Amino acid sequence: MLIALKLIGGFLIIFSSTILGFNYGNRFTRRFENLYLLEQCIKILETEIVYGAYPLPDSLFNVYKKGNKKVSFLFENIRSNLLANKEADVFNSFLSVVNIAKEELNLKDKDIELLLSLGRVLGSSDRQDQEKNFRIILNQIRLLQEDAKMEMDKNEKLYKNLGILMGVAIVIILL
Amino acid sequence: MVLSFFLHIILACSYLYIKEGQVMEHKDIGIYEKVLEYISLELSNTLSKIPAIYKASTEEIRLRSGAPLNIYCMNKDYFVTREGMITNDKEKGVIVERSDIIKTFQLISNYSVYAFEEEIRNGFITLKGGHRVGIAGKVLYSANGIDKIKNISSLNIRIAREKIGISDKLIRFIIDYPNSIHNTLIVSPPQCGKTTILRDLIRNLSSGIGLLQGKGFKVGVIDERSEISGMYNGVPQHNIGPRTDVLDGCNKKDGTMMLLRAMSPEVIAMDEIGSIQDVEAIHEIIKAGVKIVATVHGSSVEDLLSRRSLNILVNDKIFKRYVFLDNSLGVGTIRSVIDGDKFTTIEKGVIC
Repeated sequence: MLIALKLIGGFLIIFSSTILGFNYGNRFTRRFENLYLLEQCIKILETEIVYGAYPLPDSLFNVYKKGNKKVSFLFENIRSNLLANKEADVFNSFLSVVNIAKEELNLKDKDIELLLSLGRVLGSSDRQDQEKNFRIILNQIRLLQEDAKMEMDKNEKLYKNLGILMGVAIVIILL
Repeated sequence: MVLSFFLHIILACSYLYIKEGQVMEHKDIGIYEKVLEYISLELSNTLSKIPAIYKASTEEIRLRSGAPLNIYCMNKDYFVTREGMITNDKEKGVIVERSDIIKTFQLISNYSVYAFEEEIRNGFITLKGGHRVGIAGKVLYSANGIDKIKNISSLNIRIAREKIGISDKLIRFIIDYPNSIHNTLIVSPPQCGKTTILRDLIRNLSSGIGLLQGKGFKVGVIDERSEISGMYNGVPQHNIGPRTDVLDGCNKKDGTMMLLRAMSPEVIAMDEIGSIQDVEAIHEIIKAGVKIVATVHGSSVEDLLSRRSLNILVNDKIFKRYVFLDNSLGVGTIRSVIDGDKFTTIEKGVIC
């Protein structure tokens, strides 16, 4: 009877610590994925602006519609913030989504900084200039992706394995 | 008994008159308030406090960085204090900061400078509702002419108020019975309602109101400055009639060829002619047997003769009707209509 209880308890400990490890490990995967989706969104935005020359609120809405909703909802938030507050400018509207981007998309500070640098230049100059800025930002986001991928390869398995092993270790000690 | 009956009628009439007046004013105030949405928060708060009579008649709102806020209404200019009072004292006017100009420009361009490149290069942006915003600042050149305007220092927001029916009295002078019109030139000094009259004339010609048999003409409009139709996203913001095609932002020479080739117009309308190219374009139109309605800056026939390009048009007797405007009785007062063949006055004084 006692042994059965111990076994069940041990399983529970291993199970929960495994989930913990997976969760932590998945953060790296999610960052990489979201950076990839963000790149797609920025590419759509570039097309809307440089080739379509649609006004910014329309462009942002189109990004929301065409892009993957996991990330593109950011652009809809930016748009509604921009239209709702007369005193807001584009950069302020980008600032308003920083917290959401950090918490829900597992983005790091340097990823956020890149998003904000897009907000600083968006819509403030002619098409040629916008195109150049987009090129720079897309280059940078690719670097960030490489960085995210390296971290993912290095840490994802580590944390997952660590989760299981921790659980096992705790069970052994307690037994 | 009879007396009280008449009294009632008079009362009813005056009531209706007042009511109509209020409705008109309401609409004008509505237009003014729509325009305020494009002005930075602080200034629009100030401007929303000015008395209703000024709101209904404001023609221009002028923002100059470092200078007091200025509005034009009823042919005079006034400064606006922070409390929304109208004054002639420039010291009391609220000063427009550079940040106000930047913010207003952002709102006007919808945060999208890139979408208005061409318009900015031409010096103005058309807003929804057909209002035009003139831009002044530092002009940068490139190999192909003006490249862009930066460090914007002045904005002039011209409130467009279409006056439907303003040309109803004019139309009988330009009909050429049975079913054509005379080539017509509308001559007026600035700010006297040239474009407003032309726009309403286009509407009348296009819808056929006031014409024989009520049949409208196919009207082609070359709207070089986007003032006639106030095109916004491909939709005309003013009523220009059901048979009207608009070439927006097109210069008159190219526009004429395009219209004549493809749109088979019966009447071509254009704003502010004056250059030699315009004269060539008008000759093309005449050659194709199409009628023309145009406007020009000026105040008398001598004024027109003193300009080389217009001299050709007057001497060739291209225009059969000259309509002279002034603002002696409000914007769009028709002063006289002159026959272009014999230079005799057909109608003098205010036509109503």
